[in-house]
Amino acid sequence: MATGALSRERDVREAYAAHSGELYGFALRSLDDAGLAEEAVQETFLRAWRAGERFDPEIGSLRTWLFAILRNVVIDLGRARSVRPKVAESGIEPSVEPLDEALLSWQVEEAMRRIGDDHRRVLVETYYRGRPYAEVAAELGVPEGTVKSRVYYGLRALRVVLEEMGYED
Amino acid sequence: MKTERCRDWRESLGAYALGHLAAPERAALEAHLEGCPDCREEVKALSGVAVLLPHADPERFAAPAPQPPADLGERIAATVAAEGKRDLGRRKRRRFQLAFGGVAATAAVAALLTLVVLPGSGETTPEQQVQFASLPSGVAIDATLEPHSFGTEIHMYVSGIRSGTLCRVFLRGADGSRYPAGSFRYRWGEDSVAVLSSALDLSRTEAIGVHAGNRTFIAPVDQATVSVENETKEDAT
Repeated sequence: MATGALSRERDVREAYAAHSGELYGFALRSLDDAGLAEEAVQETFLRAWRAGERFDPEIGSLRTWLFAILRNVVIDLGRARSVRPKVAESGIEPSVEPLDEALLSWQVEEAMRRIGDDHRRVLVETYYRGRPYAEVAAELGVPEGTVKSRVYYGLRALRVVLEEMGYED
Repeated sequence: MKTERCRDWRESLGAYALGHLAAPERAALEAHLEGCPDCREEVKALSGVAVLLPHADPERFAAPAPQPPADLGERIAATVAAEGKRDLGRRKRRRFQLAFGGVAATAAVAALLTLVVLPGSGETTPEQQVQFASLPSGVAIDATLEPHSFGTEIHMYVSGIRSGTLCRVFLRGADGSRYPAGSFRYRWGEDSVAVLSSALDLSRTEAIGVHAGNRTFIAPVDQATVSVENETKEDAT
């Protein structure tokens, strides 16, 4: 994507190869229906193609632009089918729109998938399962200090991945 | 000295950001943070991530990322290609209507044959506009034929037939033999365009036909008009 514009058929193919997995993942997360998610991704690329000339890489990345389109598509699909975008059971701040919450959840989950297994493991055990560091260390057969340092490097890795995914805090 | 102390503390910063440190260790770390802007900065960055963790569901990220159906990319590419060709077709047709609009509107009696030399880029590639006559009311079929070294490229526009109808297109040579040009399925919409090709040279093409539903529509291709502009007419006898 040298120019960033989505004005040729080949550009659409390249954009699809690079971003369809993520777009589909988010669509599925927010619509909770494989058929609708597929429709949403298709509609996103068609809208992007029709508006290809308007894409300006100076303003933002192609990925960000595609996600912005997908977000609108998901809203439209939700409206058309009276399907409320699905939200996680917990962790919703009242000020966050359901769809933005779905996007945030999807981003963090996707980032979790991308960090190393060792890092993810200690975050799951210590944070999500709330287990003591000593217990996790014994189970993994490593010193407690190692669990602590993996938690540290795990959070750092998560931050890097989220930044790569365009997350800004 | 200071860096050594930082190294001691650095790897506890993650547990600290998650609120996992026991009180004594936390107090000692906070004493270090008081005097260490670098570690404070690091804590700030880690806390920015830590507050996001409640948004993720560990059951979900334990599963592999869902993938779109394998053929979705191809389907999107095909739709985009069809839209691209349709846009091209619209532009071409607009030119065609500008030049021959008045005639086209009234010439429903017989197939209207015209030769259009595309303006721009100095090209002299002649393309042939063909309209089908004697169609059922509400149905419109027309086609653009372009000569290529491989044979003939056909852009066929259809409207007004039942959605889902299979359309098979062929070219008929001067000797009466049929050359298939492929098939497409008409989908309901404002209009529909299919891009097809046939091995038969445009200069040897006498007629174009489309078999739709259980009917066949044929429109003659005006050989005289083609050969006027077609530079390959020598080998076209």
